Amino acid sequence: MTAVVVVAVLALPWFNPGYRALSFGITTGFTAIVLYGMAVPFGQAGIMSLGYAGLMGFGAYTAAILSRDFGMNMWQAMPFSALVAALFAGLFGLPSLRISGHHFAITTYVMCELLRITLTNGGKFTGAATGLDLPPIGAAFGVNLDQVKNTYLLVAVFMLASMLATYLIANSKYGRTLRSIRENEQLARSVGVNTNMHKVLAFMLSGLFAGIGGDLQAYNFRHISPDLYGGAISLYFALMVMLGGPRTLFGPLAGAFIVTFLPEAMKIDPVDSRIAYGVALIAVIMLLPGGIIGVTERGYQWLVEAVRGAPRGASPPEANSSKA
Amino acid sequence: MTVLEVSGVSKRFGGVVALAGVDVTIKSDEILGIIGPNGSGKTTLFNAVCGVHRPDGGRVRWNGVDITGKPAFEIGRMGIGRTFQQAMSFPSLSVRENIQIAMEHGSHRRDGATWRWSSAEELLQFVGLEEFADESANAMPFGNLRRLGIAVALGGGPSQLLLDEPAAGLNEAESVELIQLFRRIHQLGVGVCVIDHHVQMMAELCRHLIVLHFGNKIADGPTETVVRDAKVIEVYLGAQS
Repeated sequence: MTAVVVVAVLALPWFNPGYRALSFGITTGFTAIVLYGMAVPFGQAGIMSLGYAGLMGFGAYTAAILSRDFGMNMWQAMPFSALVAALFAGLFGLPSLRISGHHFAITTYVMCELLRITLTNGGKFTGAATGLDLPPIGAAFGVNLDQVKNTYLLVAVFMLASMLATYLIANSKYGRTLRSIRENEQLARSVGVNTNMHKVLAFMLSGLFAGIGGDLQAYNFRHISPDLYGGAISLYFALMVMLGGPRTLFGPLAGAFIVTFLPEAMKIDPVDSRIAYGVALIAVIMLLPGGIIGVTERGYQWLVEAVRGAPRGASPPEANSSKA
Repeated sequence: MTVLEVSGVSKRFGGVVALAGVDVTIKSDEILGIIGPNGSGKTTLFNAVCGVHRPDGGRVRWNGVDITGKPAFEIGRMGIGRTFQQAMSFPSLSVRENIQIAMEHGSHRRDGATWRWSSAEELLQFVGLEEFADESANAMPFGNLRRLGIAVALGGGPSQLLLDEPAAGLNEAESVELIQLFRRIHQLGVGVCVIDHHVQMMAELCRHLIVLHFGNKIADGPTETVVRDAKVIEVYLGAQS
């Protein structure tokens, strides 16, 4: 299954889907990178943050400012974008040591809004409400990365890498440590888990993803403005992750894909689509707590067991159970 | 032998005095029982020792080292393991993973010493849960969940266990099995301190009893003396009949 998805993602440009579909694919790609980062604290440690649009913004603005002031290109700016976003991700995560659940989510939402206001009033440094421009990506190894097909492949490779990274984190000892925080923080502490440190670390780790996503986004749009990084965008990210399923391998990708492509494919008016998102979010929370991918996996497992007639054994491992 | 020394520890919640300066010495060469009516401060005492609540006054020393007010995870790593009244687990994770988390973070990793159980399976065998290793914790019956709580605490590699009402909600047969498990844990050289209401069970398990009442220690001594103490019978045993 994993192989099928990887091949499908990489082979898409050879089916000549057209410029519009490819650029939607690019948007899906860098969004999914951020969502795979978000899946670490949210899916594993169980802490929902609405700060990710802002963190992506830190990555994007770092890239734009480094390009303007120091002439750095996308590759040179990438580590800085990742680090700046990770640093602020840790900062955004600090309230989680004191508050949890909705309270924490709202706090991070407010942080995004503060960032948006700061960027809007940042004068020449942040380009104020107009935002900043970026140069083209340029070429690497003789390949023109500004051609839409090549840009798509570039973003797709980064997306697949972040998918792999999240999978490895979830299936490592560290992933288990994070799950212990999600499952029972008090018990985790009593056996020696430094829950506070791991919460902040998980956020910083996810910030790396958001920073890289922001760098790629900035160089694809070639113009960024504060509106891209407000709290409302974070809500979309939250919807995507929950829709797809934060603890599954393909969940974040599926969520990003559905929310990016569906309104276009179904020709829904932007205002109507927002209403649809709200309804979808409530429906997912109430009916599909594991997200679309999570439910599909469970259904598939149930089907396999039913066909085999095997006795219902242990429940499947929680994290990233798709091992095709 | 390890020694956990609680001296003059007090804790109040608003106007309620949960602990009014209690002295308790827990030695690993005996199984210590702490009894007392509801609200007498038993769980608060554990929480004050384990870093869940910071004591308002008094000190807690572990093998001579002052650990008063240290964060809970550090105390866990120093070798004081505990269970909770509410039979806690990592509910949606497998039983094996429950143990692995504890083993990966416990004190044995800090001292570099090899722990008694080299794998989660061995520890599960010790508490008699090996056949449930792949089940998720919340799929197990309540009695097993109590055992799992003890196994998770043991996974941290403690030299002192604090067990908060480990037999609550269990039937007679399960309680008897649990007593045997505590004895086996104690034989390994791990200190065992138990809080419970079940006087009969406690009298059978512990040779040393401490009685708390409204945050004060009203008796401390050999079990046979304590259960005959007039004051104890009045406030606790008498109140039950």
